Amino acid sequence: MSRALLKANPYLPHKATIREIIEETPAIRTFRIVLDDPAAMAAFSFQPGQVGQLSVFGVGESTFVINSPPTRRETLQFSVMRTGEVTRALHQLNIGDTVGVRAPLGNSFPYASMKGRDVLFVGGGIGMAPLRTLLLTMIDNRADFGDITVIYGARSPQDLCYRYEFDAWRAAGVNLILTVDADSPGWRERVGFVPTVLAEEAPSPYNRVAVTCGPPIMIKFVLAGLKQLGYDDDQIYTTLERRMKCGIGLCGRCNIGGTYVCVDGPVFSGTALRAMLPEL
Amino acid sequence: MKRTCFLSHEDLLSWLARLAEKATVWVPDPDPAHPQVVSYKPFTPGSRPDFRRLPSLSAKGVLYPQGEVLLRFQKDKDPSAPSGYRLSFEDVLPVDCAVLFGCPPCDARGFLVFDEAFLQGPYADPYYRERRERAVVVSRVCRTWDAACFCHAVGSHPADEEGSDVQMIPVTEGHIFRAVTAKGERFLEGVGVQPTLAQHQEAQAALEQGRAQRLEDAALVSPSDDFRKRFSDAAFWRLWTERCLSCGLCTFVCPTCYCFTITDESDGIHGERLRSWDACMFHHFTQEASGHNPRPSKAERYRNRVGHKFSYFPEKHGRIACCGCGRCIRSCPVSMDIRAIVRALSQTEDAHV
Amino acid sequence: MADSLTTVLESLWDEVEVVLGWEAGYDPFRAVPAFIRRREDLTKLLWNPLCAPNLSGYLAKTWEKTAEGPKKTAVCVKGCDSRSLVALIQEGLVSRDRLLIVGLPCSGTVDPDALNAARTSSAPVTHVRFTRDIVEIVSDDGTERIPLERVVARRCRRCRHPNPVLSDVLVGDPVDRPAPQDPFAHVRELDAQPLEARRAFWERELGRCLRCYACRNACPLCVCQDRCLAETRSPKWVSQRDSLRDKVLFHMIHTLHLAGRCTECGECERVCPMKIPIGLLKEKTAEIAFDLWHYEAGLDTLVPPPLLTYDPSVSGL
Repeated sequence: MSRALLKANPYLPHKATIREIIEETPAIRTFRIVLDDPAAMAAFSFQPGQVGQLSVFGVGESTFVINSPPTRRETLQFSVMRTGEVTRALHQLNIGDTVGVRAPLGNSFPYASMKGRDVLFVGGGIGMAPLRTLLLTMIDNRADFGDITVIYGARSPQDLCYRYEFDAWRAAGVNLILTVDADSPGWRERVGFVPTVLAEEAPSPYNRVAVTCGPPIMIKFVLAGLKQLGYDDDQIYTTLERRMKCGIGLCGRCNIGGTYVCVDGPVFSGTALRAMLPEL
Repeated sequence: MKRTCFLSHEDLLSWLARLAEKATVWVPDPDPAHPQVVSYKPFTPGSRPDFRRLPSLSAKGVLYPQGEVLLRFQKDKDPSAPSGYRLSFEDVLPVDCAVLFGCPPCDARGFLVFDEAFLQGPYADPYYRERRERAVVVSRVCRTWDAACFCHAVGSHPADEEGSDVQMIPVTEGHIFRAVTAKGERFLEGVGVQPTLAQHQEAQAALEQGRAQRLEDAALVSPSDDFRKRFSDAAFWRLWTERCLSCGLCTFVCPTCYCFTITDESDGIHGERLRSWDACMFHHFTQEASGHNPRPSKAERYRNRVGHKFSYFPEKHGRIACCGCGRCIRSCPVSMDIRAIVRALSQTEDAHV
Repeated sequence: MADSLTTVLESLWDEVEVVLGWEAGYDPFRAVPAFIRRREDLTKLLWNPLCAPNLSGYLAKTWEKTAEGPKKTAVCVKGCDSRSLVALIQEGLVSRDRLLIVGLPCSGTVDPDALNAARTSSAPVTHVRFTRDIVEIVSDDGTERIPLERVVARRCRRCRHPNPVLSDVLVGDPVDRPAPQDPFAHVRELDAQPLEARRAFWERELGRCLRCYACRNACPLCVCQDRCLAETRSPKWVSQRDSLRDKVLFHMIHTLHLAGRCTECGECERVCPMKIPIGLLKEKTAEIAFDLWHYEAGLDTLVPPPLLTYDPSVSGL
């Protein structure tokens, strides 16, 4: 199967096998999968920010961001928080099980336009997943970027994803600032909500892009915080989430006005957000 | 020169019978127990199609069935696999040929909205495309309308040929058939007899009468700016949708409502991935697993219906996603009137209180 | 009739925040639910046999309730509507003391489709008038006179409570209409047929169902709203397949949830775009409730509905 086939019947998934499962938090698991067709796996190309529909046959499909970077091709990685029917079923799968994948779908971060600039990532909880794709792509092309600052928070230390990678991120010259909502024994990083930490850190907007993703309420305050720090709308990117079914702009539920999050998103600039009808 | 031919009422039925041997011929068919309920059913030798009444359901189900299988999958035992089974699946594209016969012009026009959404977007829908390419649409000049009809207000009329391959014009003792597209030309090859001059003139008069018919005067063709201005007026939407029951009737009977859901139905071993009609009026349509719902009440949901048809879709595709058939008004349990709401978009602030 | 309704409500206006009644719809055959908040709008109120929608359902769902002020919500009820309201009060879903119930004795409602079917002219209707037994339909072709009895809805032919069973104020004289000899005659007629014939009947009728859920949403007592198990996926009871099996299953669930609760207002049947006589299913459960417990739903606000009085000490059920 190839991209051409996805175009021919965009509802037809690739068949894929789970190679590795990582227990990120009590509610979040990361699945590393490979497409069963080696040619399709070799030809698979995507951009940071793009999503895929994972399916458990007999239960259904759900949308997740591809959170491995295009620079690392051994597996495709998806992080799944257990919330509904499909995510529950995904959490019951084991290594070697088959899933369906329709990918890549949606738009991506304007990676090329970020080259030569400083970057600020502001993530909360599972919202780190789309940021991870972009972050690792930048780490793999570290010389193309200036300062990379990551502010990442969760409710508690156990709710932070990708903990096993934090050292590697720091080793790659990432200024990683971790925070949790409430202090807990043994925690040596920051305590406080993400928007508060953002205000305290106050990374300069000069020649910088900011990328944020997390719970809607966090995004709302982070956007306001960035504004206060002097960031312009076109320096800010976020991703939106909506209930999706088809993933190809047809089924009609993920629209915000005339904008379809599945094909026109999930990545939106602050400018694009401002132009949207207020139906978040 | 457009091909035209005449068929008497009797010859029409035998032509339909011949067509039905090669294709599924969908005709408006009254329910035997409830003659007011007319829906499109495949023509069979006993069928008595009703070419006068507006069918209760639109014709969209002919090319876009209420429930259709996208994929079939099955699990076969395989001890070597970690899960103990091997999963396989395949897509099931439709292969049937359809003739939609004798629909009103509004139903034929409805497919133009599907054509835009399903064939001209970033991804083409192969299921719709397969059916559409093989289908022939024969619409009839409409002569029965009521107070819910408003095709004129959305740029159409009872003799509209847009979206049809062949037009069917009632004349004394039968019908004139007139090719509209090349597909229609081929469809009419060798059919019927040459119309007499009198029949020709009668058909011409019927067409002209239809074209001149003005159902609902005030046009609803460019309300997009008004919609945007009204979007955040919560009181407007709350008041105008107060009586709405939030059921899915309006969207299910609509010739242009194409929103759907995809679900897996399975017995554990075999299963299918289904695409089914869904309705933006339902609460669960946008309900997210987290509990958040961006359209939590009927006010936001109805606003989306109005916005989709009269603002979002026309901005993207240059065509209103409404053909004025009036079914959503006529069939609504509480007679919600989308025309009135669209007109009210531009009225002064307190006109709706 | 509408004049006296307006007059009565004008006199009570100081107590009222909003009136749920009916007003003219898009054509002379349609009366639609109205929510009146200004005194001067009371003249819009309509009361005639076209006022079919049962308004009591709005009090329990799909309606943003008015502020909890000292004033009341006035709701217009026909006999059948009043039973739905009583049932909602019985189940604690509506507070009696927040309501001003305006009772309207009713001689039966008519369906626009029935009126259209009974007409001989096809000219657009300009006006419709009702006398005691006659519907007068005025168009450019003149006036057509149709006996009310010919066009009255099926639900009204079997009505045993043309007068509201509960009201604070009654507008109009009580209707003196003989109760039907057997309100369950339609069900019994169907029951008398052999199993195969009944099966064929329901396959044919329910086969037309679109699952648009108008019946469910119009039902004043279908109050699960956004938690309806017709749509839940976990657990999944009804599939999305467009199959007779799933349609029947939905209607059985709908019916059984109303067993011993349905007040036989017939809204489910009235609103069905495919004219499926689904009221018969609920009438069957009402018949069973009547036979088992001699219970009619929605007659007495103080009586607990039989299926809401689970008593573990009772055995042998």
